[in-house]
Amino acid sequence: MSPISQPTSVAFNPYAENGGTILAIAGLDFAVVAGDTRQSEGYSIQTRYAPKVFRLTDKATLAVNGFAADGNIFVKTVKQRLEWYRHAHAKDMPLRAIARLIQTMLYAKRFFPYYVYNILGGIEEDGSGAVYSFDPVGSYEREACRAAGAASSLIQPFLDNQIYFKNQVAVSGTSHPKHLPILDVLSLVTDSFTSATERHIEVGDGLEIYVIVASGRSLTELSSIAGIEEVTGSASATDRVFVIRRELKKD
Amino acid sequence: MELNGGSVVAMVGKNCVAIASDLRLGNQALTIATNFEKTFPITDRIIIGLPGLATDVITLKERFRYRVNMYTIKEGREIEPETFAHLVSSTLYERRFGPFFVEPVIAGLTKPSEGSVPFIAGTDLIGCLTLPKDFVVSGTASDKLFGMAESLWEPDLGPEELFETISQTLMNAVDRDAFSGWGAVVHVITPDKVITRTLKGRMD
Amino acid sequence: MECSFALVGKGYVLVAADTTAARSIVKMKSDEDKTKVLSPHLVMTYSGEPGDTVQFAEYIERNIRLQHMRNNHELRPQSSAAWIRRTLADSLRSRHPYSVNLLLGGYDEATSTPHLYWIDYLGTIASVPYAAHGYGSYFALSTLDRYHNPAASLEEGLRTLRRCIDEVANRMAIGVGKFKVRVVDKDGAREVELPPSVSVA
Repeated sequence: MSPISQPTSVAFNPYAENGGTILAIAGLDFAVVAGDTRQSEGYSIQTRYAPKVFRLTDKATLAVNGFAADGNIFVKTVKQRLEWYRHAHAKDMPLRAIARLIQTMLYAKRFFPYYVYNILGGIEEDGSGAVYSFDPVGSYEREACRAAGAASSLIQPFLDNQIYFKNQVAVSGTSHPKHLPILDVLSLVTDSFTSATERHIEVGDGLEIYVIVASGRSLTELSSIAGIEEVTGSASATDRVFVIRRELKKD
Repeated sequence: MELNGGSVVAMVGKNCVAIASDLRLGNQALTIATNFEKTFPITDRIIIGLPGLATDVITLKERFRYRVNMYTIKEGREIEPETFAHLVSSTLYERRFGPFFVEPVIAGLTKPSEGSVPFIAGTDLIGCLTLPKDFVVSGTASDKLFGMAESLWEPDLGPEELFETISQTLMNAVDRDAFSGWGAVVHVITPDKVITRTLKGRMD
Repeated sequence: MECSFALVGKGYVLVAADTTAARSIVKMKSDEDKTKVLSPHLVMTYSGEPGDTVQFAEYIERNIRLQHMRNNHELRPQSSAAWIRRTLADSLRSRHPYSVNLLLGGYDEATSTPHLYWIDYLGTIASVPYAAHGYGSYFALSTLDRYHNPAASLEEGLRTLRRCIDEVANRMAIGVGKFKVRVVDKDGAREVELPPSVSVA
């Protein structure tokens, strides 16, 4: 008697969740985009240094979080589209156009989505700092701040409180500031990540903070920051990009 | 936990402790009542917070009252916070294989003769105790409470500073939670009194 | 579809329950009384699993009556509510739990205050200014959010209750039919007639 082979179904899951958290805050004439550098799957750490924040142009930075493989391919494709734009128009794509490009690219894969949350930060054509946040299928919105990823639920209420001054009442005759000074913003970013690292197992190892500064803004405050590095692409750029690297707990 | 919603947080301060809860009682997405406190006084120095399945919240509140009364009569003295925490733990573990669906938070001060030392504790639904030195969170907004408390809390806060810290922690956390909110009640236990304040919050 | 509402006004509690007894898609009866007067100053609406409802309501009714006879004194609304809740909570973890939802309205003669309790089959209890059970709650609670007034006269309270019933009749896919309305105040519990519906323009 020959054994009858039973049909077996093999479910292939094309997605993974790689942890980590990203965060962006817009200032009056600057934007800060940050992400931790841990990449994990389940309880295993795949690497302690996998960047999630990328400089796209001298006025735009993109943070991607979720399924790392999709994130990397997505950033690669966005960069390619921006290069084609440069070849066609001899200038960098404006930030709001990049935001709309990202929407179209995400929605194009509406029924097999890139499993990533995107946050775009940079400088608009009018010189204002801007943050755009996206869901995996391309819904997007311009905001003053946004946290996404594994520890977004830990960080977002903190930003509501410290950036939007939610549940805080200004002293009578005064009002809450619309934009915070850059050093205050950077403190909030570090505090957010150190807190998230304490309480979330998927967050930690390293922190990369990109700072995009509008042309004409004084850089004196930035020069006081230890280990700050300029990563502006072209020598003729007017807006400038810096990166600050910090260690986070590795346990 | 998501059937009725609700959140509780407790924090340690300098010679004081604070415990706070939201006021919502829901049936999934539908809000039934907006005056449902989840904190209950046990002695003049101990308060328990019981977020979770509302029927068990009430049953356990009554059961703890009964067991603490029996303790007081038998021992002829008030129960201490640490002893009470173990009472909570064993009460829950009695139902190991058919648990009460609550995750209690306990806040208290030891008796004045032992220095009114702050005490906080949390347990899971079957009574596994955790005794942190900073803060305990519980309920449907626990992840948000962790984020807020971890960034706002600092050691040695006085009663008024602690009140502000726990209030901001709770309010901003529940505002990002669909199952918690509709105002809050905050208790700060100090060696000579308990300060209780009701907070207004977002109504959505 | 089963639904019941209740609200507190100035010195009274109004409770209302639909009167349909349905089995699957068939309407078996259209004058079923799903309310009970438990004691002179205590009324209750009940809904839920057919069979459980009447059995449980009668059990409650007789025990409250027994309490009254033994002590020659009515059990106060708070105490009645606590006992009823406990009965449901104990039942929940028994071999065969009752699945009955209640609205309990009472007038406390000792303090001259009306009390309303929302109680579900799990033994959840909430002391509320207005309450509803069933699918009707999704419409009635919004209506009550807008129109409820704790200082309203009985006439105004009845008009508010009428609004709720009209809203449910207007928006619910399945008709709910007539309602039985009872009020409890300092003079005790009695049945009242709803004012005619005001046509929605």
